[in-house]
Amino acid sequence: MKHRRITWLPIIVAALCFIGTTSCQQEQDAWDRIQESGILRVGLDPTYPPFEVLAADGVAGIDVDLAQAIAKDLGLRVEFTYFGYDGLYDALATNQVDVLASALVISIDKFRDFAYTTSYFNAGQVLVSRTDFPHKDPASLVGSTLAVELGAQGHVEAAIWERQIHELEIMPFASTTEALEALSRGDADAALVDHIGALVHRDQDSSLVIGPDLVTEEPFALVVLAGQEELLDVLNESLVKMSEDNQLQIILDRWLGK
Amino acid sequence: MVRALCQRNGDSPDVDRLIIFNWYSYGDNSLRAIRKSVVKYQKYFPHLGKNIRFDPALRLLVLSLFLALIQPAPILIVAGQHEAVRSSHPIVAVHTRLTDEVEPWKIQRSLQMVREMGASSIVEFFPWAYYHGQDGGIAWEHPDLVIEHASAQGLKVVARLGLTPAWARPTGTPLTHLDEGAYDDFASFAAQFAARYEGKVDSLIIWNEPNLSYEWGYRQTPVSDYVNLLMKAYPAIKEANPEMRVLAGALAPTLEPEGSPWGLNDLIYLNRMYEEGAADYFDGLSVHAYGLTFPPDTPADPGLLNYRRVELVREIMIKNNDQETPILITETGWNDHPRWTLAVKPGQRIQYTIDALELAEKEWPYVEMVAIWAFRLPAPSKSYMDSYTLVTPEFVKKPIYDTLQEYAGN
Repeated sequence: MKHRRITWLPIIVAALCFIGTTSCQQEQDAWDRIQESGILRVGLDPTYPPFEVLAADGVAGIDVDLAQAIAKDLGLRVEFTYFGYDGLYDALATNQVDVLASALVISIDKFRDFAYTTSYFNAGQVLVSRTDFPHKDPASLVGSTLAVELGAQGHVEAAIWERQIHELEIMPFASTTEALEALSRGDADAALVDHIGALVHRDQDSSLVIGPDLVTEEPFALVVLAGQEELLDVLNESLVKMSEDNQLQIILDRWLGK
Repeated sequence: MVRALCQRNGDSPDVDRLIIFNWYSYGDNSLRAIRKSVVKYQKYFPHLGKNIRFDPALRLLVLSLFLALIQPAPILIVAGQHEAVRSSHPIVAVHTRLTDEVEPWKIQRSLQMVREMGASSIVEFFPWAYYHGQDGGIAWEHPDLVIEHASAQGLKVVARLGLTPAWARPTGTPLTHLDEGAYDDFASFAAQFAARYEGKVDSLIIWNEPNLSYEWGYRQTPVSDYVNLLMKAYPAIKEANPEMRVLAGALAPTLEPEGSPWGLNDLIYLNRMYEEGAADYFDGLSVHAYGLTFPPDTPADPGLLNYRRVELVREIMIKNNDQETPILITETGWNDHPRWTLAVKPGQRIQYTIDALELAEKEWPYVEMVAIWAFRLPAPSKSYMDSYTLVTPEFVKKPIYDTLQEYAGN
């Protein structure tokens, strides 16, 4: 009797094709659905100006403008849904929205379930000084006074610097604004504050300069569900386009000052 | 144990090159041990030639293995002798966040700093989903660690239980999804938790903010769903440990109206809990009382979400003849992020927090505990949530910690 050998290769290939088809189907479902409906559903927490804040006629801010610009580029309309910060990722996971645009920092521990676009803004800490006596990096702060916001991340970072930089004096203030005002007055030689606060204040005070490098990294990005490669690709393509034609910078300048 | 790797020398087909290394030989004796092994085992492979080579690659491999095996002994963190909290305001408590803190020394350090600050109690979150396997086994290591260290620091523990394991909810649903099909499993876990930590955990909070659809996996659920959960969990817990207190509620302050897909006004929700028969199924009411942008003494108003909303909650309890049941404020606080619309300045945050504690002590005899959210996060959230903490992930004390420590008399 002739025994037929089972060849596993065709079975494995068939299984791989099935799996590939299924996962491709899931990816296409998201982008196909969005294209079919013509609506990009965006989730955000509208309590974080200048990125998103409730306004008279809805919601306004950098993320709002960004989402609308991307939607326009893709030929879509935007629908915003508001959530508390805690509920944002679950809202995406339960298909309440297609994408999150809410000043969210790229977070490695979420890579399993979510995917991030390229970053559109970095909100880390920056070193600010006066144009007449600029400090470009921490090494130049020997014997200097450094203004920080009391208890904020800059204060935490400065406490580490204090142990490393000779005769560095930390001056805490009640707010970022007060710390930067002290710098402007000459009561401090530099200030270590968050990038957003620094940009907003510098727009009103041209005597200040922000150091070229961020002291800490906090990259903001849009968020989609993991596996939605096509949606991620089109969002990234839009972001690249907006970066190349300066539209992204125009949005940032509008809210954060030039 | 000896592993043998044989290669045939193409130049001499009758001679096999036998390379043997002994995994358990260390130090300078490694090569000698290897040669001894070769000689010893050669008798089992007589057909093999005696052309044994120890080429540089092998030596490097042996050295690498040796270096990998030489490791310092892990630092042993012991709970140490039992301490006692010294505080002139024992109402002060904190919500720690050790759920995702895996390093024992950080758990110990956090709880040590809690005691040193003068907080008498902690609220900590123990996710059911993290521990309970589908086979019924429960991984107790992490809760054991946290509770042991808390006990060693003399801290009273209030444990919140929540989040559903994947095997107890439909595929594709979030961790917060809980339906009646899993109530028995949850009750079983809660009972085992209560039994295991008898004498070390004071109270169990059943679920979290059930008046929000988010806490049910973004499902609109009737109040009866939560009451039914209490009716399952309460007797199971009491049977396992009659002394364990069961706390209901932890309702989220919200003004969401009837029919909202996002949740239901906490005052309406609590009243309906009583209507559904919840009163006999909890020993204390957990309350969240965030101040947002209002000073703590801002008068209570049904249309306002502020600290004194606790008084409106109390009125509902009294209206339902539940004045004997205490309130535990398991989350409260102010946020001092520079741009969050619901934050205050850092100096205001410190003052409001102290004032809130004093107010609770003087005016709310029914409030046993005021737990400030949150003591420390294991890692920065990179959002305004970081501005709720008292201590940074690097254990740097924020000024509010120092003020609270001074307030508690430490």
